[in-house]
Amino acid sequence: MLPTKQMSVQLLRQAFNSSQPPPRMWRSHELKERYDVVIIGGGAHGLACAYYLAKEHGITDVAVLEKSYIGAGGSGRNTAIVRSNYLTPEGVRFYNESVKLYEQLSDDLNFNVMFSQRGHLTLAHTDGGVNTMRRRAEVNQIEGVDSRLIWPDEIKRLCPYLDVSDHPRYPILAALYHPPGGIIRHDAVVWGYAHQADVRGAHIHQNTEVTGIKVKKGKVTGVETTRGRIKTGTVLNATAGWASTITTMVDIKLPLTTIPLQACVTEPLKPFLDVVVVSGSLHVYISQTDRGELVMGASVDPFSSYSMAGSLTFLEGIAGHVLELFPALSNVRILRQWAGICEMPPDYSPIMGFTPINGFLIDVGWGTYGFKASPIAGKTLAELIATDKTPDLIAPFRLSRFEENDLVGEKGAASVGH
Amino acid sequence: MRTEQDTLITPNRLHPKEGEVIDRATTIRFTFDGVEYPAHPGDTVASALTAAGVQVLSRSFKYHRPRGLLCCSGHCPNCLVQIGDEPNVRACTRPVEAGMEVRAQNVWPSLKRDLLSLTQLGSRFMPVGFYYKTFIRPQKLWPLYEHTLRHVAGLGEVHIDTPLGEFDKQYLHTDVVIAGGGPAGISAALGAAEGGAQVLLFDENPTLGGHLRFTVPLDSSSTPEVSKDLPELLEAANQQPNIAVFTDTSVLGWYQDNWLCAVKGTRLFKIRTKSVVVATGAYEVPLIFDNNDLPGVMLGSAVQRLVHLFGVLPGKQVVIVTANEDGWDVAADLQSLGVNVGAIVDEREPNACSSPYRDGLVNAGVPVFYRHTILEAIGSNAVRGAKIARIDERAAISPTTTQSLNCNLIVISMGWTPATELAYMTGGKSEYNEECAKILPVSSPPGVYVVGRASGTHAVDSQIAEAHQIGSTAAAFAGSGEVNKLTAQSSGTLEPRRTSDRVCVPGNKKRFVCYCEDVTDEDVELAIAEGYDSIELLKRYSTISMGPCQGAMCSMNTIHLCARANDWTVQETGTTTARPPTTPVTLGALAGQNMEPVQTTPIHQWHLDHGAAMMVAGLWLRPNHYGDPAAEAMGVRERVGLIDVSPLGKLQLTGPGVPELLERIYTNRWENLRVGRVRYGVMCNDEGVVLNDGVCAHLNDETWYMTTTSTGATTIFEWLQWWLQSGWGEGIHLTDLTDVYSAFNLAGPQSRAVLEKLTERDLASKAFPYMRIRSAKIADVPCRLLRLGFTGELSYEVHCPSGYALHVWEALMEAGREFGIAPFGVEAQRILRLEKAHIIVGQDTDAMSDPLSANMAWAVKLDKPDFLGKPSLMRISDEGLKQLLVGFKMADPDVVPDEGLQIVEPDADGRLKIIGWVTSSRFSPTLAAAIGLCWLPPELASQDGAPFTIRIDGHLKEARVQHSAFYDPDGERLRM
Repeated sequence: MLPTKQMSVQLLRQAFNSSQPPPRMWRSHELKERYDVVIIGGGAHGLACAYYLAKEHGITDVAVLEKSYIGAGGSGRNTAIVRSNYLTPEGVRFYNESVKLYEQLSDDLNFNVMFSQRGHLTLAHTDGGVNTMRRRAEVNQIEGVDSRLIWPDEIKRLCPYLDVSDHPRYPILAALYHPPGGIIRHDAVVWGYAHQADVRGAHIHQNTEVTGIKVKKGKVTGVETTRGRIKTGTVLNATAGWASTITTMVDIKLPLTTIPLQACVTEPLKPFLDVVVVSGSLHVYISQTDRGELVMGASVDPFSSYSMAGSLTFLEGIAGHVLELFPALSNVRILRQWAGICEMPPDYSPIMGFTPINGFLIDVGWGTYGFKASPIAGKTLAELIATDKTPDLIAPFRLSRFEENDLVGEKGAASVGH
Repeated sequence: MRTEQDTLITPNRLHPKEGEVIDRATTIRFTFDGVEYPAHPGDTVASALTAAGVQVLSRSFKYHRPRGLLCCSGHCPNCLVQIGDEPNVRACTRPVEAGMEVRAQNVWPSLKRDLLSLTQLGSRFMPVGFYYKTFIRPQKLWPLYEHTLRHVAGLGEVHIDTPLGEFDKQYLHTDVVIAGGGPAGISAALGAAEGGAQVLLFDENPTLGGHLRFTVPLDSSSTPEVSKDLPELLEAANQQPNIAVFTDTSVLGWYQDNWLCAVKGTRLFKIRTKSVVVATGAYEVPLIFDNNDLPGVMLGSAVQRLVHLFGVLPGKQVVIVTANEDGWDVAADLQSLGVNVGAIVDEREPNACSSPYRDGLVNAGVPVFYRHTILEAIGSNAVRGAKIARIDERAAISPTTTQSLNCNLIVISMGWTPATELAYMTGGKSEYNEECAKILPVSSPPGVYVVGRASGTHAVDSQIAEAHQIGSTAAAFAGSGEVNKLTAQSSGTLEPRRTSDRVCVPGNKKRFVCYCEDVTDEDVELAIAEGYDSIELLKRYSTISMGPCQGAMCSMNTIHLCARANDWTVQETGTTTARPPTTPVTLGALAGQNMEPVQTTPIHQWHLDHGAAMMVAGLWLRPNHYGDPAAEAMGVRERVGLIDVSPLGKLQLTGPGVPELLERIYTNRWENLRVGRVRYGVMCNDEGVVLNDGVCAHLNDETWYMTTTSTGATTIFEWLQWWLQSGWGEGIHLTDLTDVYSAFNLAGPQSRAVLEKLTERDLASKAFPYMRIRSAKIADVPCRLLRLGFTGELSYEVHCPSGYALHVWEALMEAGREFGIAPFGVEAQRILRLEKAHIIVGQDTDAMSDPLSANMAWAVKLDKPDFLGKPSLMRISDEGLKQLLVGFKMADPDVVPDEGLQIVEPDADGRLKIIGWVTSSRFSPTLAAAIGLCWLPPELASQDGAPFTIRIDGHLKEARVQHSAFYDPDGERLRM
């Protein structure tokens, strides 16, 4: 049974009785003195965790603290690509669970997140690239993920606007085709999770910035915020690009580099690009939203920064690379560029779970691949919080792997990770 | 082609007048949706269509409502059309050209009768965000729903055969950039130029002058100083040698360190400046009322643009809705042209109006409704009337006072909002100023200044005076870098309030806040009530300001609505972030010319002439083969072959510091490398991951010659530079000789015999052993010879000056003819090296591979004092390997597993567990076997002959570990 009315019923009710205010998606609350669990970061990860804590484990005394508005960070700045065709078996298994959750998410959240599994193409421009794609396809297939190597005639069929001609600089030799991959309405994921977490009792506190974390005898006892103090024994740091600023508060150093990642969007166009197209060699990924805009992104900036201003270099580079792939787009106009902040671990894999401080948990190191993991990250961390045990699925991503020299090796793909 | 009438009439064209930009002597023709229309050179597409009486130019995004000209300045979405292959063209600013084919966008079946406008009937079920609440179940149908949604969305079309246009870029360097060439901008340019600065003045319009181009006062006696401002300013700017003017050029963005970008058609300007003056003017703000999007509802400045620049009057019966003197200016302007001004509806008290034209208009019998505003635009496809009502003492609308006025043009002149996107990008701060009901810039970083309407100053004489002063301040800053705090910011001259804070008149029809996305004020209220209350959430949920206008038309009104609904002040509500580009810019202009040319070697044409199949290798094109790679490989094994390896990275290092550098960047030992010797080395990064490999030769006393992989040439040059510049550079000079030298590998048992014919150098093994370098003249060209063995045969790498490369190549081919020489390509080389189990960095290794695991422990000297990657490699050495790279041979010689295939082991449940993968594989013609290299768990890899299984097309095939090289394991043939 659903805890809330069908959204479509609400819509009808609103249509016929607009004088009555609509139900709020999430409410405002006073900060309580104490919460069982405090989640720092009101993005898709933090809100998903709050939701699964309530739904799967009955833990509802939860505060989600967001320094700005919900979804202000990476959740609202990514290019909304969802896929599971990773390189390592650990990565494939983990993201495959995420895709499965995404497939059910509209129904689960009673909110249409518009998950559009329109297929995902990763192009290979060199024979080395073809080998890497084959390597991924094989790992994917062994792990039960729909993924295969395809050749220019099939690529052309799936994406007629791609230039698969024999042009010399970046010829398209093959592609990794991943039919379940696609795009989603990223903000809707945030709002849907926020709504359902709120319905189940979690408190979402926007404009509430964490300024300190209280630790006594190696155990978390509370957090300090711009709106006051909260007592709690469990804190989850789910702050993506700003994760190291939070862990610094408890003197934990993480092997993370903070780098901006940029993206841009064009004016709306009639639909012509069905699949998501990625080129590692050209550092570009591009898709067309349901509104008709082309959303595109590149690899991370070449240097560390917290700046979200964006650069001209990015725009020039991505425009050139998009035209390499789609020469017919030279008259298409860029409407807006933006940037988000990524924290990249050395093995391009997340860091999740326990830390040396009792009660201080992390969900960090999400680099350029965090949004697509939101449901499964939220779900597994909720399980970890509820059971005090690391679920098998995320055991490879534990913090101690760096001490144990047991890195995950997603970096081996050596290409842009979208 | 269909022509509407035989005589192409232009009912809305006025008589010629001064200041217009059209050439009436010439008439050209173009088509709109297949119908031919006349135009004059100088017309925009929209002005010509308006002259011909066309009012509906587009349909709205969601409800497909008819839309006509609104802003006429390229800032709203209402005139977006498709012109040929170009989608989303702003018809109001695009100059019309003879033969242009203009089409309406996103209409079905036609602009006039767009059936998708029926969606309005269901609009109560489609409020803001309706798609989040519908199409959820049954989930299986979502792809179908989505398909439909997708096909009704979008605007212009991309045609698949659109040719890639020609674009270019230009770099500009200057002292002061002025963005915006209105009165303030020109004046600031003059101030800066007179202060000695070099000035670049940019304006998006075809001519300078800003609003003075179309707001010329009618009665020069009333404000005589204004009427001569523009010619004077233009003349002064023209005379000033320090000012360079760029018209039709939009400044797109400000980036860190005063790095600006502007575009003029197909050319992108990249500008470095010391100082910036933002003189971008203001947007006129629409009023939100019932049917406020009806064609025929236009902003005052839009009407004045049409009238003065193009001699086009968009309607003959006019109602003017205003809250300031600007509305009266428009009324007087139209009146002087003989237009019937049906009414002036001014929300102010009579005594608040101080327009110099008031008496004239009133005396001429123009009805004036003070304390009134508009309730509704009447009409279905175009304005047929206006419903107005009185504003009562509590500032509310009194419904009993409603009356209708006949008209076909409603002019909205409610106020302005500064165009401060550029100022925002610089990091400037803005605050809401209650007195003038505007968000005004209050501070900006050093060297950035805001003037004119962008800073809130409207009076032309004040603009000119302030901007001149700030121009000289900007020049001073550019000269000295000093900030004069007192004049760093034009503060917005206090003047009569020009902007009403009444943004929305309630009613019972649709009232649009956002024209791009069809968002109404009720949508905004609903979204806020649902919890999307902050301006940022409201934007993302309603998509207000995310369409083609990027907020130019809707931001200010949205902020007011958001503030009211939340009971916040405008200041508390805040703004969303302005992001580049300020004006949408084509991918072509951003990309410019393709600056990634393909690199070819000096032998390229020879390769083509000899039937080479070329392949991309890094930046280069290389021969993959000349027809039969297996035969090429056998030719090398049995006789002699020649391969062009010119793309190899070639670096020369000179100086006493080189040995120590080599010790640090390679994993093996270098200080003991004597002159004339060559050594193989592996480079790692700090993580101990293999970056590159190659050889380095000690050429003479203080000179070393290094080669890198072809694909890694640039990276390694940069890598070395990085370290040289980070403290390891003392006594070292590094030169990239990659293009200076070409290189060929002459390989095979007969290679010595071939080379001996072309040189006097003693090539006998005793004089020139394996892994040595010698200088020698080959075919009279001074070359460097390296005796190496990547192919496993006796071989000489000939490095010659690239200018003589073809000569040397042809001489070698000629000398080898009697020995059966043949050229060989990359594919044959790969076979040959694989038979020797030599690795290729990047193919057999990836971004996680260390040299110990890659079975190259012999090339890692952990007892060296220090080298890049040592700590990581020490640790790997201590803790043991996780994987090992080894050779394998297939049980079935005819089954060659593709590179990238996985090595698996079924577990207890029969599920496959991945234990390794194939990095290289080939059929060896020499051994008649399928061989390769693969990663395996060390315990398996360490057993020579151990069997394992590779998954090929879903089937498991057996292979066995092989430790020794497949061919000539003792390396005797190298040392022949």
